[in-house]
Amino acid sequence: MITVKAGGLVAPWIEWEKRCTDGRRLLEAGTYALTEGAIAAGCRVFAGYPITPATDIAEYMSKRLPQVGGYYVQCEDELAGMHACAGASLGGLKAMTATSGPGYTLMHDAYGWSITNEIPLVVVDAMRVGPISGITGAPGQGEFYIARYASHGGNFETIVVSPSSVQEAFWLTIDAFNLSERFRTPVTILTDQVISDMWEDLFIPADYDGLDFVRPRKHNLMMPFYPVGDASIDVPPNVIGHGTGVCVSAYTHTEEGYDIEEMEAQWAQTYRLVNKIRHHKDELARYETFGLDDAEVVAVAYGANARTVKTGVLEARRRGVKAGFVRLVTLWPFLDELFERDCRFVVCELNYDGQLVREVQRAAPHKKDVHFMGKSAELHTVSEVAAGLDGVARSNRLPELPYIWTEVR
Amino acid sequence: MRTEILISGFGGQGVIRMGQILGLCAINQGHRVTMLKSHGTETRGGYVRAQIVISPEYVDSPVVEHADVFVAFSQPAYTKFYDLCGGKVLYDPELVEKVRDDAPDRHVPVAATQLSKETFSNQLFANMIMLGALTRVAALDYEAMRKAMLAVIPRFHDQNLAALDLGHTLPAARV
Repeated sequence: MITVKAGGLVAPWIEWEKRCTDGRRLLEAGTYALTEGAIAAGCRVFAGYPITPATDIAEYMSKRLPQVGGYYVQCEDELAGMHACAGASLGGLKAMTATSGPGYTLMHDAYGWSITNEIPLVVVDAMRVGPISGITGAPGQGEFYIARYASHGGNFETIVVSPSSVQEAFWLTIDAFNLSERFRTPVTILTDQVISDMWEDLFIPADYDGLDFVRPRKHNLMMPFYPVGDASIDVPPNVIGHGTGVCVSAYTHTEEGYDIEEMEAQWAQTYRLVNKIRHHKDELARYETFGLDDAEVVAVAYGANARTVKTGVLEARRRGVKAGFVRLVTLWPFLDELFERDCRFVVCELNYDGQLVREVQRAAPHKKDVHFMGKSAELHTVSEVAAGLDGVARSNRLPELPYIWTEVR
Repeated sequence: MRTEILISGFGGQGVIRMGQILGLCAINQGHRVTMLKSHGTETRGGYVRAQIVISPEYVDSPVVEHADVFVAFSQPAYTKFYDLCGGKVLYDPELVEKVRDDAPDRHVPVAATQLSKETFSNQLFANMIMLGALTRVAALDYEAMRKAMLAVIPRFHDQNLAALDLGHTLPAARV
């Protein structure tokens, strides 16, 4: 459970920003910010396969990593790329890979390996509109659920976060590395074509070595690792490798990492894989809100789309609509608590099938009060959002707008 | 105050470069800036659009829906985005032959391609001529723009500065 703090942004980098006074202001792309955030977080391995709109991350990494003593590996495909990152992390280095939807699905075997062996990693998925290859230069939000279920077999929780600006992409990448180290699990940064390609003013701290909020990789060689262990063990204090003497296996495993087909081992392992994240939702909640105090209708969005949606909420308020705003940064675990309020919701997302809206429907007290404004390949416009909020505030119905889909089922 | 600038043309004309210089100039003056760039997959040809928003405060929506200035570097760009602009429209008459006649006071012809060919024997500098004119029309700080250009463009500084000057002193841009 989290206690909702209404008004403004809830995220650790608000404090970080205050502490970093010395630095440079640049005009740079989101891909640059994601790369520099990773370098600042201590990432020293990038292995992957280029794909629009994440190619620039690979390109920047190939320049930056050799400068800081790191390694850039161009792999034969995304599957190999993420496995190489997992190997690098087991070997003691922080690692990241970056891709778009078509590559993200190819990574899911390695994602499962990383979840079950509790390997810290960061994966960037710069979403473009689909299905499959869709349009390279257009944004989408089609991987909301696939990022939650980034492996088969169930019995796990995932951590997924999404930035809404170039600056936030920088801080959130450091945050994602911290969370992956803290919870010993891969973390997905779900960004999109707009945030990747957009250029925006970006503050970069002068000295990465002095960033005391970066969580270091622990190299305590004598510490045991708990792949199964006692169900009461929360997050393993150590990463496999580093002299733990534990095997790495995709199967349910013993404390030594060997395959085992006993239910007690399965129960203990999955209890931890699920609850090490569920029990710490308060540590994982990052979100932005405004206007919730008097809101009769609340717009919900994430990623690049939240930018125009927020302006749309301001426009609706100017027209006299009591409108509020929720922007999710943490997508998974899902922050149900934000929607446990007696008001109407308009969920704006960049797909026609409706993904985020289903979770809001589940979390909100009244399903009939949750509305869907789905758009494909283009950000919502300010006037569309304002019109939608106005309609729902008046009659609990969305107006008919061209290219906006409202049917969830 | 929020200022929206829309620049569009073909790939290879330097539309994105113009936006990059404009954006950096604004950042150096302490503003917040967003620039959306959309383009086809072609290296040259195809359509390119830069949407720049400059504001003293954090820019929420980066989308240009009511441009204060619109720079058209091709006929398709002019036709497609004209309605998004309520302010001045700078266009290159060699590339935009058909313009609307209902708002002559909003239209500023800048013969950037022709001037670039005449002055530098190369049309490559047309974007800098246009940027010079844009700096004057939008009443932006010209010295700051020169500095931002030098920081962004890696080579041919002399010609690029001359092109910027040329655009900035054009009679048509004195509005």
